[in-house]
Amino acid sequence: MSSRAVSLLIVLAVLALAQPAFAHEQAGVGGGLVSGLLHPLTGMDHLIAMVAVGIWGAQLGAPAIWVLPITFPLVMAFGGVLGVLKIPLPMPEVVIALSALVLGVAVALRLRLPFAAAAVVVAVFAIFHGHAHGAELPGSANPLAYGVGFVVATGLLHLCGIAIGTLTRWPTGERAIQGLGAVIAVLGCYFLAQSLGVAA
Amino acid sequence: MKFRLASVAVAALALVASATTAQAHIIASRLGDFYTGALHPLTDLQDLILWTAIGVLAGSLGAARGRWLVPVFPLGLLTGLVLADGLGFVSTRPAIDAAMILVLGLLLVAALRIPASLLCAIAFGLAVMRGAANASDLAPEANRLLFAAGLACAGYAAITLTMAVTLAFRRADAGPSTSWRGIAIRAFGGWIAAIGLMMVGFALAS
Repeated sequence: MSSRAVSLLIVLAVLALAQPAFAHEQAGVGGGLVSGLLHPLTGMDHLIAMVAVGIWGAQLGAPAIWVLPITFPLVMAFGGVLGVLKIPLPMPEVVIALSALVLGVAVALRLRLPFAAAAVVVAVFAIFHGHAHGAELPGSANPLAYGVGFVVATGLLHLCGIAIGTLTRWPTGERAIQGLGAVIAVLGCYFLAQSLGVAA
Repeated sequence: MKFRLASVAVAALALVASATTAQAHIIASRLGDFYTGALHPLTDLQDLILWTAIGVLAGSLGAARGRWLVPVFPLGLLTGLVLADGLGFVSTRPAIDAAMILVLGLLLVAALRIPASLLCAIAFGLAVMRGAANASDLAPEANRLLFAAGLACAGYAAITLTMAVTLAFRRADAGPSTSWRGIAIRAFGGWIAAIGLMMVGFALAS
């Protein structure tokens, strides 16, 4: 019998005899954390909008590039609270789809709005996205764990967008980013049509 | 060679087969309650968030102010433990924890240079609440002294290490809060505040 076979046999024996350990495990923490982490990633409309926000922030430069990752999670959490409290917002799906379209166009055209105007636009979209996340809390999940996962995942998406946005330092990178913005805008159009019931 | 490998395999299997189930939270062990106290905060997500947040806040304010938390925080934990176990003090209300998370996050976001006295007051209050929360899971047969010692040691280690990491991170770039390291800490505070705000919403909804 080869040494590899012997090692495999030993490993299998150990695994077969292993038992799960339980020690003060909070109910639903693991599930809540995973649900929160995956939720922003499983919705394509949310995902592309979050990345687009980061890219646009990078294009706008200071102070948008550093105010955005600091304040956006907080504004989105406010929307999340509205969702948790079941406070309705007008046409949430349409606005969420519209956010991808608007942000994609802004990236593609390198739209340079004044910081205050850009902040208002992003804040409105943040509230609607947060509302959707808060309203869709899984019943079995630990709320704190879900919140942690949701905030961290969204923040990481923003960082990805900002990292992508740093490609604007090079002409080729700038073109690539504008192309990416166009793709995001097209996807936004699709989601908008879908939310309006025009597309299947 | 093959015979030797086979012998080793048989011996290993015999050893594995003879193993018995391990008991978590060993009460009979001499130092079991010490380890229970030391590891108990790791079982609560709120403790992880709050301890990390206060440590980062203290570290971001600099060593001169943050060092006061080295004795203050463990003492607060012990105080909370005594109040809960001896006087029945209860501070496990979700809204209070959520509000505390939100406040700590906002302080990090704003990068306010709060005085050492205020920092100590916040840390002590937080530690008292968390000490009481940890005491709520004390078993009747647990050794209070060992549990308290473990909890205090965990508080000391956690707060000291978190402050040290934050200081080391900031010291590499001692520029203003708009430097990328300052922004990173403020962004972390934004995430903490967002979590706290979400928890406030959950508390209101429940």
